[in-house]
Amino acid sequence: MTTATVTAAPPLPAIDHGHAGLGNQVVSEWTKLRSVRSTWICLAVVVVAGIGLSALVSNIEAGRWTHLGLVDRAQFDPVRFSQTGEFISQFVVGVLGALIVTSEYATGSIRTTLSTTSKRTTVLSAKLIVIGAVIFIVSEVTAFISFFVSQAVLLAHGGKALPAGSTILDQLHSATIPVVGIASDGAVRAVFLCGVYLTLLTLLACALGFVLRHTAGAISAFVGFLLVLPLVVSILPSSFSGSFERYLPSNLGLAMILVTSRKTDFAGVLLTPWVAAGVLAAYAAAAVVLAGVLLVRRDA
Amino acid sequence: MITASRITKTYGTTRAVDDLSFEVRPGVVTGFLGPNGSGKSTTMRMVMGLDRPDSGAVTIDGKRFGDLRWPLREVGALLEAKALHPGRSAANHLLALAQTNSIPKSRVGEVLELVGLEGVAKRKVGKFSLGMSQRLGIASALLGDPGVLLFDEPVNGLDPEGILWVRNLLKSLASEGRTIFVSSHLMSEMAVTATDLVVIGRGQLIADTTVSDFISSNTEVTVLVRSPGAVQLADALRAAGAAVQGTDDGGLLVTGWDAARIGDVAHAAGIAVHELSPQQASLEEVFMDLTSDMVDYHGQTPAEV
Repeated sequence: MTTATVTAAPPLPAIDHGHAGLGNQVVSEWTKLRSVRSTWICLAVVVVAGIGLSALVSNIEAGRWTHLGLVDRAQFDPVRFSQTGEFISQFVVGVLGALIVTSEYATGSIRTTLSTTSKRTTVLSAKLIVIGAVIFIVSEVTAFISFFVSQAVLLAHGGKALPAGSTILDQLHSATIPVVGIASDGAVRAVFLCGVYLTLLTLLACALGFVLRHTAGAISAFVGFLLVLPLVVSILPSSFSGSFERYLPSNLGLAMILVTSRKTDFAGVLLTPWVAAGVLAAYAAAAVVLAGVLLVRRDA
Repeated sequence: MITASRITKTYGTTRAVDDLSFEVRPGVVTGFLGPNGSGKSTTMRMVMGLDRPDSGAVTIDGKRFGDLRWPLREVGALLEAKALHPGRSAANHLLALAQTNSIPKSRVGEVLELVGLEGVAKRKVGKFSLGMSQRLGIASALLGDPGVLLFDEPVNGLDPEGILWVRNLLKSLASEGRTIFVSSHLMSEMAVTATDLVVIGRGQLIADTTVSDFISSNTEVTVLVRSPGAVQLADALRAAGAAVQGTDDGGLLVTGWDAARIGDVAHAAGIAVHELSPQQASLEEVFMDLTSDMVDYHGQTPAEV
């Protein structure tokens, strides 16, 4: 590998049209994402934890069925149990979303990245597009597999599918563990929004990475947003906190995966699923705008 | 061509670069010298559009960085050798860079071969030595075959063979008509590599000149004289108005006079002369003199060179 002779590389054919744009950055970001091991570890955790934990919790809940009282039976939610893994996955995707930005700031390679384009916001956009698309696909696939695996677990415990249009009351009086089909009311939406929830959190974490430019800082802020903010709100006077709680990210996530017809004790407290998704998207958008403004204004 | 026009950059209360103007012309290697903290890296970051000057402007072939259409194909830079994701292979690092500017994948292999890293293309860069990282940084800079190249301390961590290789590479790139702007704290290295020099201290321009002019205009001419009649010759020279100092080994150092004039005086006095050699100060000595002034008398306007 050491050579004192200089052999010039052949000249590179010039391009006399267009410019280095978003498409170029997207391809490059995909190369960067797939060429480090941490990506694959995070994605594996999302898939394994997503499916495994959901199947495990469905198994545990099904085993407890005979000991459950009427209220608990009424609140037995086969869709929600099938998405339990989301609790772990939300932190994993947040770490990955932040890392694809902060690892570049930690090494200084962000300066190499920014010197490949004359417009810095294309770097922000490309990272959001690539990590957003990857997490969306992986978490949607995971969510739907989790759903079917969990329903199979419930069936194995002697569960029976409720007839279409059945209500909470029907479930209350049913003697068997309820199992839902994907075609049942709200199931597709709930499972789909589970993937959307993880995707929006990833985008938020990625934007936080650009704002804070530091791995520990960005991950702390992300975890604080998910876990600490609810604690802070909970110690506020309830007259005050009551109107805020539904806007907490964790409650937005809950609202997004609840099947509306099954809402019981949450009714009136949580936003409707699509509104909750919209609010979470607004949070992510605000973080992205802040990230864009700071990225353009600050020295790299 | 790199043109800096009256650029100023302040971080907090520290003025890193102060009203700095210079031009880096194509076809030769231009050395960028200054003591640590003098603003060299800040200046290079401003050329690359990474830091924005508070006032003034830097252009690359007449265009600001933000106006370049294919930045990597117009300007390449090695700013920090270790600015790499440790878990990514050298080939993937370069591939991701190539894709940002529609540079074909085959180019990655070519530049790896050029810097002698083709054998470790698939190895993770976290396992690279500083010297290998420098070579990879040079490969990144050359990826887009740009006409303007910036290197910040490119020989750091290289073995003597590597230093020689970089020296030859820089010269050969310059001879192809490229603009080569290279900073170094190894002033002796610049003396043999660079043709032009930009020297700064405390963010201000000390000199924008050629290496040879820089040395000659910043050193008094000193001539070493050896003669069997050294004592008589010293008297004769002093009588004629020259400043003469004796050296430890019996020679004479004459300051301010050129060799011909000293020879004439010796001839007129009938004294034999065995050696008459003009002494050239090294670039390093000149540089140390100049920059120590910058530190000792801060706030002083730099001398016009």
